[in-house]
Amino acid sequence: VTPLLWTLLAPLVTALLGVLPAPRWIKEAGLVGGLAVTLVLSIGTAGGFLAGSTASAFDHALRVDGLSALVLVLSALVGLLSGAYSVGYLRRNDARGLVSPWRRREFDALVPLYVFAMLLVSVSNNLGILWIAVELTTLVSVFLVAFHNRDTSLEAAWKFLVLGSLGLAFALLGTVLLFASGRGVLGEGMSGLHWTRLVALAPELHPLTLKLGVVFALVGYGTKAGLAPMHTWKPDAYREAPSPAGVLMAVGMLNGALYCLLRVHLIAKAALGPAFSGGLLLGLGLLSVAVATPFILIQWNLKRLLAYSSVEHVGIMALGVGLGAEAATFGALLHMTYHTLAKPLAFFSAGTLAQLHRSSDFDEIGPGTLGRAPVASALFILAAVIMTGSPPFGLFFSELTILKAGFAGPHTAAVGVFLACLVLLFCGFFYQVGRLVLGAQPAAPPRPAPDPERFDAGGAVTLAAAALAVVSAFYLPRGLLALVHAAVRVVEGGQ
Amino acid sequence: MNDLVILCAAGMLLTAYLMVGQKALFVAIRLYGLQSILLGVVAAATAFTDHRPHLLESAALTIGLKGVLIPWFLMRTIDRIGIHREIEPFVNTPSSLLICLGLTVVGYRVSTGLAAGGEGAAHHVIGVSLSMLLMGLFLMVTRRKAVTQILALLTIENAVFLVAVGATSGMPLVVELGISFDVIVAVLVLGILVRRIVDRFESMDVSRLSKLKG
Repeated sequence: VTPLLWTLLAPLVTALLGVLPAPRWIKEAGLVGGLAVTLVLSIGTAGGFLAGSTASAFDHALRVDGLSALVLVLSALVGLLSGAYSVGYLRRNDARGLVSPWRRREFDALVPLYVFAMLLVSVSNNLGILWIAVELTTLVSVFLVAFHNRDTSLEAAWKFLVLGSLGLAFALLGTVLLFASGRGVLGEGMSGLHWTRLVALAPELHPLTLKLGVVFALVGYGTKAGLAPMHTWKPDAYREAPSPAGVLMAVGMLNGALYCLLRVHLIAKAALGPAFSGGLLLGLGLLSVAVATPFILIQWNLKRLLAYSSVEHVGIMALGVGLGAEAATFGALLHMTYHTLAKPLAFFSAGTLAQLHRSSDFDEIGPGTLGRAPVASALFILAAVIMTGSPPFGLFFSELTILKAGFAGPHTAAVGVFLACLVLLFCGFFYQVGRLVLGAQPAAPPRPAPDPERFDAGGAVTLAAAALAVVSAFYLPRGLLALVHAAVRVVEGGQ
Repeated sequence: MNDLVILCAAGMLLTAYLMVGQKALFVAIRLYGLQSILLGVVAAATAFTDHRPHLLESAALTIGLKGVLIPWFLMRTIDRIGIHREIEPFVNTPSSLLICLGLTVVGYRVSTGLAAGGEGAAHHVIGVSLSMLLMGLFLMVTRRKAVTQILALLTIENAVFLVAVGATSGMPLVVELGISFDVIVAVLVLGILVRRIVDRFESMDVSRLSKLKG
């Protein structure tokens, strides 16, 4: 068994252990421990790649290249953060009697299973396995969205599953058409769907079939990534999912789906040149940024606000890749990295605010949270500063890189619209945060009265996430930066 | 053999049309079962004409899982919740059928551009599958009952499989196994959700799921 397989087995074993009944502290230790081991193994696998050994398994169906290694490490990191935050989150809900032992076992199995699916996505070299792994993330997250079993959770879970399945049906059709475009040159066995094989044989693929396949695959995986106009499941699902699960979807699934989009884009690029799928990604990305803008301005719910921010960020990444310049690609992948490092802070601080007030609707939380929950509110402001791409934090740098590359290239008009949207988004986000966090205390206290803020396990993890988001802006570990560069080399075709 | 393939593909298209014109849920579920069995026959016939024995395995899988198991599960679900009829869809039946006729023309037109879609049986198979795909999408946006939406999704899934058989003579077996397994799990999850929705809302009218906006 190679290190790559151990990396995939670790979360799977954690999920199996999660099903077993055990005292609470053992369950917590098992979940966090298992995910920590997963992270260590992922870093080991990525380190092995940087050291020059190409890990692969099952006749190259699983394979680690630069892009895989980057997404692998980021996914495992988010998995650990989510698992660690869930300890405090579930304890708070436990104190209110909301978490039955059965629910906890369900949760403890679903989270590592989700992490397993994300890791499998990131190392799949086979388009079929890639599809199966993405479908697995969908099925697992349906249960996570429906976790609270409220009317609205069921509505969100239903919409999510129907839209997600439809997207995946499109992605499957795209995969079939990509395979069909080979007209036999790809071979019949498992290796016929290997990404490396498709890229290598790209000039021999039937152009029209390939184009149709690429469109379907981009729309399908774009649905999972939450690119507009296929983003409509996102706000509902984020509002209903428990915060630790929300961050898995907002970062893990987003990175995974972007990974799929990139793989499809690279096949199209090798066969048809960069303009076709690049143009599609550019259009979808710009549309996502534009669509997110008004919805952030009129938002009425804290977690939906984060969802539209997530639509914005995936739009920025797609736009960066779609621009086609190497510097823009670097900006996009750097954006993915910084987004992964910063988003947990936003989700955890917002999750704490929502949990203390028993709702994530602005009306029910009431203005002036800074007086009621100072630490969580302050951290949420910090998260807002980082997420809107303010200097001196990382997302500012990555957005600037994309803008600079964009204005140098042929798509200056699109980049101009993009810049205008960014400014509006910045104002909109701070308008919402300002009125929620800093507004005057309401005359009558909200009802039911919010819980007082205490420093607990959830608070500690939120602080750790804040430290991660801030420190990474000034010091990105050398290995991680090397992975970003390696991923850029994959996207630019140098392997 | 080619005639058998074309006949079965045409039968699948017919079941899709009947599904559009149908209001009784249990008939729609049986139609889906029949459609899946026809898909299995298409795959089996292609296995013989193209000498690809591994397609036989996916044919058996299709008939067993999609032709028998999923319909049985859906039947049990509607029995449990005691809802048997689709209410008036957003678009009435005659106009639905006319729209679907248009979608079939579009599907056939697109199929001629594909690598394998120009000639012979493959032309019809791909034409039918693209038409079914569009009809599945149409069903999905115009129907209100949760079970009908599941059937629409499954029709789209069948259409994708038919493309796979027609345009490529089937995907690698491992991949097909994984996909079939995922489809089964997806249907189970959907069934569980339908039950939870009915418990909560005392209805499976998905147009009532409309609290979340903006």
